[in-house]
Amino acid sequence: MIWLRVFFSGGVTSYRALFAWINPWMAVPMLVLYPIFQILFFVYLGRSAGVASDSFFLIGNTFIATAVTGLFGMGQAIAGERRFQTLPILLASPASRLALFLGRAVPSIVNGFVVAAISFALGAWIVGIRYPGRTLEELAVVLLVSCFACTALGLAIGSLGIRGRSVSLFADSISGSMLIVSGANVPFARLPHVLRTISSGIPLTHGIVAARELTAGASLGHVEPLLGKELLIGVIYLVVGLAMLSLFEHEGRRTGALDRF
Amino acid sequence: MTRAFVTGMRVQITQMLRSSFDLIAMLIWPIIYASIAYYLLDAKETPHELLAASIGSAVMIMWAQVVIGSSGTLDLMRQAGTLELMVAAPVPFVTVLAPIMVSTSAFGLYGLVVTLVWGRVGFGIPLAIVHPLAFAIAIPACVIAIAALGLIVASTFVLYRAAFSLGIAMQYPVWLASGLLVPLSALPGWLGPVSWFLAPTWGFRAIERAAVGGDAWPSIAVCALASVAYVSVAVVFLRVFEHLARQRASLKLA
Repeated sequence: MIWLRVFFSGGVTSYRALFAWINPWMAVPMLVLYPIFQILFFVYLGRSAGVASDSFFLIGNTFIATAVTGLFGMGQAIAGERRFQTLPILLASPASRLALFLGRAVPSIVNGFVVAAISFALGAWIVGIRYPGRTLEELAVVLLVSCFACTALGLAIGSLGIRGRSVSLFADSISGSMLIVSGANVPFARLPHVLRTISSGIPLTHGIVAARELTAGASLGHVEPLLGKELLIGVIYLVVGLAMLSLFEHEGRRTGALDRF
Repeated sequence: MTRAFVTGMRVQITQMLRSSFDLIAMLIWPIIYASIAYYLLDAKETPHELLAASIGSAVMIMWAQVVIGSSGTLDLMRQAGTLELMVAAPVPFVTVLAPIMVSTSAFGLYGLVVTLVWGRVGFGIPLAIVHPLAFAIAIPACVIAIAALGLIVASTFVLYRAAFSLGIAMQYPVWLASGLLVPLSALPGWLGPVSWFLAPTWGFRAIERAAVGGDAWPSIAVCALASVAYVSVAVVFLRVFEHLARQRASLKLA
């Protein structure tokens, strides 16, 4: 019972603190306007370059929206504790670490999904793309898996906040690199071999390919191997993130660095 | 006032040079945007286009630095409880904000250097500047015009508690409407007149024409005129928004 309370209440409270909410409308510029204009920017850039269809960039940047919320949201949900000087208190509590940190991951996944869904819907409406209802349902499944994978990577990045000060630096650099490496905005055929190799080990890559295949008419069964890879990558980052949290908590206690800012 | 301005510049530049986030972000983002443009354009036969894309990416980063830098600084002031003190200081508030804008915009020069070097090293783009004198004058003209437009935007940040998220959201709309990487001809026609009012449009045109060929001087002149106009508007806006913020007692809300 306590495990569930820590999981749900802790997660929701942490999510609200993330945006310092008094009024939820304050989240609109970053969570709605930013991804929509990003989609439009790359759709028009793609049109002027004549490289790929509008759908290519719409799908790619919808998934990038999940990366931004997953990496920054999850990263800051942990790193914010140091900033607000609550990290030593949090880690002094006898609460299960799994409940504590997975509870912070769930709102991040939901947030990423909602942000991406809104961006996708508005982006598609603005640029005039329509998909069949069945495709939308299947896209939602792929999006959810990618949200999980990104949040898992965000957990690994956030764990650095227990040891160091600037998580934003990593989240910013990685989410920026994903614009290219994940294939969101550049067709893989145009990327150098080294970037294509890196892309196979990061979240989003397989999700984006799967989503593009779905919009091209493939069935969910056809993209299952891609979904499986995306899920596996998410699980690996989750395990690595939890291990890093445990290691850095131990190191932070040993060196007395938990309240250093 | 001059001392307040110079001290503000010194403090802001010192802060940015000590911020690993600013330094790394300025290294990575211009490379990312320029690389996307290079990969998409794939115009090895037309190096002019790639050089223009480099300059477009650099101007994008200048604008991003101004809106993110200024909104982030105002957010930090709120959190540290110094925003009220700044507003209450016996110098016009524009003197406090202007150094932040000018130094963040000038920091974009680092982005320009990074982009040009990356284009040369990574993609073999020739760095032949057609009009060096115009290029040397276009850059500060662009920096000042973008900083002055940033002042208008920052005046609204004084009123808004979530300035940073607003600052983040203001990047792409201005990049799009200014025709930096996406040519205005590829955008809806009504955006053309909007672009006339945006400093990055003229700053980009000035630097691009000086670099790849064309008459840069009219764009440089527009940058200068726009800077004066922006500062005049910003002074009025700041007075109004500062008054509103005092009236609502919202300066301390973090």
